[in-house]
Amino acid sequence: MTEVSWSRSGGADCIRLTGLRGGADVQIRPGTAAAAGGRPPMAGRLVRDGAGLCFVPRFAFLDGTAYTVTVDGVAAAVLIRTRPDRPATTEVTAIRPTAAEVPCNLLRLYVWFSAPMSEGYAAQHIRLAGDSGEVIAGALLPGEHELWDASRRRLTLLLDPARIKRGLASHRDAGYPLRSGEPFRLVVDRGFPDARGVPLRAGAEQRYQVGGEERRHVDPGNWMLTVPAAGTSEPVQVAFGRPLDHGLLARCLQVTGPGGRPVGGTVRIGPQERSWQLVPGQVWEPGPHQLIAEPILEDLAGNSVSRVFDRDLTSPEDQPRQARPVTLPFHPR
Amino acid sequence: MGEFGLRRGRADLRSAGPITFGPAGILFLADNVAAKVFAVDVADPGPVGGSEPFDLEDVDARVGSFLGCEPGDVVIKDMAVHPLTHSVYLSVQRGHGEAAQPVLVRIGRLEGAVADVPLEDVPLAEVAIGDAPAEDDERLDITLPLGEEGEELQVGERKIRILRQPIRTSTVTDMAYVDGVLLVAGLSNEEFSSRLRRIPFPFRDKAAGSSLEIFHVSHGKWETAAPIRAFVPYDGGASILASYTCTPVVHFPLADLTHGGKAVGRTVAELGAVNQPLDMVSFVQEGQEYLLVANSAHGLVKIACRDIDGQLPLTEPKEPVGVPRETKDLQGIRRLAHLNGSHVLVLQCDDAGRQHLRSLKTASL
Repeated sequence: MTEVSWSRSGGADCIRLTGLRGGADVQIRPGTAAAAGGRPPMAGRLVRDGAGLCFVPRFAFLDGTAYTVTVDGVAAAVLIRTRPDRPATTEVTAIRPTAAEVPCNLLRLYVWFSAPMSEGYAAQHIRLAGDSGEVIAGALLPGEHELWDASRRRLTLLLDPARIKRGLASHRDAGYPLRSGEPFRLVVDRGFPDARGVPLRAGAEQRYQVGGEERRHVDPGNWMLTVPAAGTSEPVQVAFGRPLDHGLLARCLQVTGPGGRPVGGTVRIGPQERSWQLVPGQVWEPGPHQLIAEPILEDLAGNSVSRVFDRDLTSPEDQPRQARPVTLPFHPR
Repeated sequence: MGEFGLRRGRADLRSAGPITFGPAGILFLADNVAAKVFAVDVADPGPVGGSEPFDLEDVDARVGSFLGCEPGDVVIKDMAVHPLTHSVYLSVQRGHGEAAQPVLVRIGRLEGAVADVPLEDVPLAEVAIGDAPAEDDERLDITLPLGEEGEELQVGERKIRILRQPIRTSTVTDMAYVDGVLLVAGLSNEEFSSRLRRIPFPFRDKAAGSSLEIFHVSHGKWETAAPIRAFVPYDGGASILASYTCTPVVHFPLADLTHGGKAVGRTVAELGAVNQPLDMVSFVQEGQEYLLVANSAHGLVKIACRDIDGQLPLTEPKEPVGVPRETKDLQGIRRLAHLNGSHVLVLQCDDAGRQHLRSLKTASL
């Protein structure tokens, strides 16, 4: 009588078989169908271990998967790798932009999670919905390529750029994914699995009002700078006049002091991503300082300092601007 | 393999991404998590391939069976065909989340046998493709690792181990090798840009080549840049046809890429609304070169290269737009590869979600 059970061998998980006749042909396949239509057996090796024989897989057994063991072509057992019961602890920590109103040509949203997530589920578990709950179909760029940061805690979502770009068939035929004056919500389902395969502690959503088009360059020349006093640690603050992209904002602004030395300190992005401030690590020196903006800094609609999202070749205002950083000089008072 | 700068070692693959063959049976594998491209000599043991078709039903279930997982835990990220043996290579993610494991799978053309390709103690080279962080970009996502990864920090009286990982990443969407250069298209998780990276091969430096922003003009009025989703070299590598996330199909000469700076491609077609290009391949039919484009919403689109060369830039926003094209009633095709002189190999997903490898006869396409 052959007995089959989960076991360990040589420090690895294995399936242990006892009571086998010598030379028996043992095969393991995932699933419960013994025949499995000519599918190859699971890769691994059979090793003699004490009185039994152990199947040690080349690729680890997966939780939640059933394995069918056949001996000489006859199903001998089905073993199920149970999924450990783990509490839901991961949650959405932020959805950005945080602005209450976004332009109807909004390009990008970010969702931050408290722990690493599983890839491949975003399309299933994240959607844009109208106020009455109906899904705004075709609004988010469908993608096999989900845009995660390296630790799988920040997900970037793009609205379908083909529907935002003027002159393209998609835009002409389907129009903007969002409509001015029609609020929408970004909804993250509770079922979105984290990296452990466990759902979120709770779903999350953020509601937005939708304004008109935003087609202008990001223009540092129009920013309002609040200049700190020399000898203090007051922040230098800049207000943009419109919300900018959170991801880019966090890396596209820098302050330098006399001699071009970078000023270190604590950066804070203001409410609704409409402002930015730097609290210096040391008191402000007198003398010339600069706020430097990278040309790739974008607003919510993908317009940057150097170029608008889609350029009307007949419009002089749409001409690309210099691809070099823009500097705003200031002197601590 | 010394001539290509390969050294024996281990390809420490952290994720499965696009793959494509280069010279002498060297396979390029993009790893988006590690932000690297590996060049691996796959030492394919198969005999030289002929012109016969190759079909394999339920390839996802077969690969899953070999890897010990259900088809739902097999994510086929890309497909490539060995130029000599015509063995099929699949870049596979096995499992999800922290259980996810990248595997390079080879399917023998003769019996359809599934095997994993060893990535340890093989001739290989690697190059970093991470966006070089801007000098002032010190943003890192800090997490508490479970194992010995990361670095130790003293916090008060306690020592904690933290892992710093970049927030800004670039995801490779497609690659092609042309005449000593690996071309890599990518999608940033922050800025919206259209960069095509040129990496000379053999890899010379640890950091990767130059990159170029490619603009395109739609209907003579709108100039934009957008991430390239899929592209294919044709005309002996002299031309590139790229298709974008926003669906224009854009032509540019490869020579334009060597000048650096900005290049402007010529929009020759649009693939239609609420649609995404997935893959492209070129093939020859009666002495003429053609391109096939796989889409998320339409059948397979066939375009004659001579029509691309003769197509003026699109200037009028009217239908039909651009080069003449035929839409084949072949749905669910996600990946395309040149199998042999007579067939194009496709990875096709049926209505039930099952995936199959099928050969399309080029003479009847």
